[in-house]
Amino acid sequence: MTAVAAVSALVLTACGGGDGGSASGDSGEITFWDTSGPNEGPVFTAIAQECATKGGYKVKTETVPFDAALNNYRTAAQGGQGPDVFRAEVAWVSQLAKLGYIADLAGTELANDTSDFLDTPLGSTKYDGKTYGVPQVTDSLALFYNKKLLADAGVEPPKTWDEVKTAAAKLGGEKTIFINNDAYYALPFIYGEGGDLVDADAKKIVVNSAENVKALETAKGLLDAKAASTALDPSNSYNNMQAAFTSGEVAMVVNGPWSVADYLKGAAFTDAANLGIAPVPGATAGKGSAPVGGHDYVIRQGTKAKDSSVKFIACMSSTESQVRIAKELGVLPTRKSAYENADVKANAVVSAFEPVVTAAHPRAWIPEGGQLFDPLKIAYADVLAGKKDAKTALDEVAKSYKDTVVPEYTVG
Amino acid sequence: MRRFLDRHWYAYAMVLPVVVVIAVLVLFPLAQGVFFTFTDINEGNIANPILDRPATYVSVGLDNYLNVLSGDASYGAFWSTLVRTLIWTFGCVFFHYTIGLGLALLLNREVRGRAVYRVLLILPWAVPAFISAFAWKYMFNAQYGIINQFLRFLGLDDPPVWLGQSDWALVAVIIVNVWLGVPFMMVALLGGLQSIPGDLYEAAEVDGATPWQRFRNVTLPGLRSVSSTVVLLGIIWTFNMFAIIYLITGPNPNTRILVTYAFERFFSGASRDFAVASTYGVLILSVLLVFAGVYRRALRKQGEVW
Repeated sequence: MTAVAAVSALVLTACGGGDGGSASGDSGEITFWDTSGPNEGPVFTAIAQECATKGGYKVKTETVPFDAALNNYRTAAQGGQGPDVFRAEVAWVSQLAKLGYIADLAGTELANDTSDFLDTPLGSTKYDGKTYGVPQVTDSLALFYNKKLLADAGVEPPKTWDEVKTAAAKLGGEKTIFINNDAYYALPFIYGEGGDLVDADAKKIVVNSAENVKALETAKGLLDAKAASTALDPSNSYNNMQAAFTSGEVAMVVNGPWSVADYLKGAAFTDAANLGIAPVPGATAGKGSAPVGGHDYVIRQGTKAKDSSVKFIACMSSTESQVRIAKELGVLPTRKSAYENADVKANAVVSAFEPVVTAAHPRAWIPEGGQLFDPLKIAYADVLAGKKDAKTALDEVAKSYKDTVVPEYTVG
Repeated sequence: MRRFLDRHWYAYAMVLPVVVVIAVLVLFPLAQGVFFTFTDINEGNIANPILDRPATYVSVGLDNYLNVLSGDASYGAFWSTLVRTLIWTFGCVFFHYTIGLGLALLLNREVRGRAVYRVLLILPWAVPAFISAFAWKYMFNAQYGIINQFLRFLGLDDPPVWLGQSDWALVAVIIVNVWLGVPFMMVALLGGLQSIPGDLYEAAEVDGATPWQRFRNVTLPGLRSVSSTVVLLGIIWTFNMFAIIYLITGPNPNTRILVTYAFERFFSGASRDFAVASTYGVLILSVLLVFAGVYRRALRKQGEVW
């Protein structure tokens, strides 16, 4: 086995071609960059090792912090280094494909039959008509609530933002809901009003539309009405939100399924049944709409272990693995067949999120998709802090998109 | 010319390696950086031999400079960022120097346990910058941080949101950087103080000089050569201090200085815009060169040979 690997490595070096992926040689050793964090990571690592043992190759799992992963991957891939398999956020895939950092999966078993995957997550793996990834997990944002606090106050989980305001009178004002001032958490407000950031088909920037202005004003309105609290320092926002909710200090937050493990460790949810999950509120009842998130497996362009990587991804994203991941972590499978499993159906988080994900709002799968957030993040934080009104802030975002993110689009 | 070479060839042979190394390590990257500022180079069109892709960037003339110098917010609002950078730099260095000098004067006396004080005061310098940054970030947390808890305890109902969307964020990072930078100034100035001969103080005392007069006319002139060096170093370091600001506040426009914006353009969410980032690099270099020239001239006027 080692001899074969050594010979094939020699052959590869001799070819010296740019397209190492299609060469028959395969080093049989995969490095997998996992961005899932300390709660989910151990389960993925365990499954990865089992896949490796079954498939006859070696896998080394390296945990990379989610915030730094895209940057590190791009830097490494540009120099021909980096992992063989990478867990990329859905918005990163088209960007990495455009830059040539991930391999086209055409001709491998991964691209042949994708009919079992849910359509929305599958959409994120395509760029320019080709398939570049395999959906690992999907997610969206939902309203998490503290059942006991709501029951004590005699409040039903709100379906509209106005109901949140009404509920605030009973739930103790600012203790009602925590609003994270990060851009991603502005999306439920924006999509709920029928707005969007860009219209990729018409090549238009629509971030400063009247709907979006109204959306941000709704968010700010909750703060002004003392029906919500927020951490006005953006760098502490997420941690404060988690702390406030897990300690029972606030009754509701908007967050994704990845946070469930965090919540269940908290004092307020020692009884897991206390954690309620509902669709995000909207402008009108039933119109709440949250963004599609999730992660895809991609293979680095120029990997020396493409065959093993393909086998590895096939194993990691098989129905069997997805069922196990869903059961152990409560994250959402991307295969339709995984949802038919009885154990998955019985998982409270998965069953609560299934309708949310089905109704989730697809994002524009353009290479610039991930870069739309930084300008919006600053604008949203400014609006919530009362430094700028929504219209001015969003006009600046639109200008910034036009100048630096999608110059070929028109501002509409 | 021939005779000149015959006589001095060995000298040239000796310096040649240094010249080559300097050219390769300093001049070539510098020239390349300047060249990039006249193109639209970014991550998508740079040549990449590993991915088998040729370069496709084109010259755009002075567009990058015009965009940046117009002060447009999409290109980092250059002028207001420059003003903020200057406030940050001189604010930090002023407190570094004054606090550092004060501590050095205290430590220059015979006090019991002097060694312990020195170790304690030098600690901030010994802690890796990112650890200090995260520790301060927790302390500045507007809701749970110890600083605001203390302010509330003192009866301040509405303490500032330190790291939010206001100029408090700049105040916060200046506080952290002062905390980090004082030990260096203190040690350097302590060394300077100890090199001032004790007889000068005795002579001044005999002549009836007050403590303030001794400080003005003996201590400060005696420290001048150390001071001029550490202040210049401090200004250049602080001007280019990236880690503290970025780790504590992230890409917050209220704490943006020239280098953090160059980094944002180069690495962060935006499109790895090498061209605009290089333009910022060239402008930062220009500002520092002008400053160093003025500073040197000012020192020379005071009779300093440097």
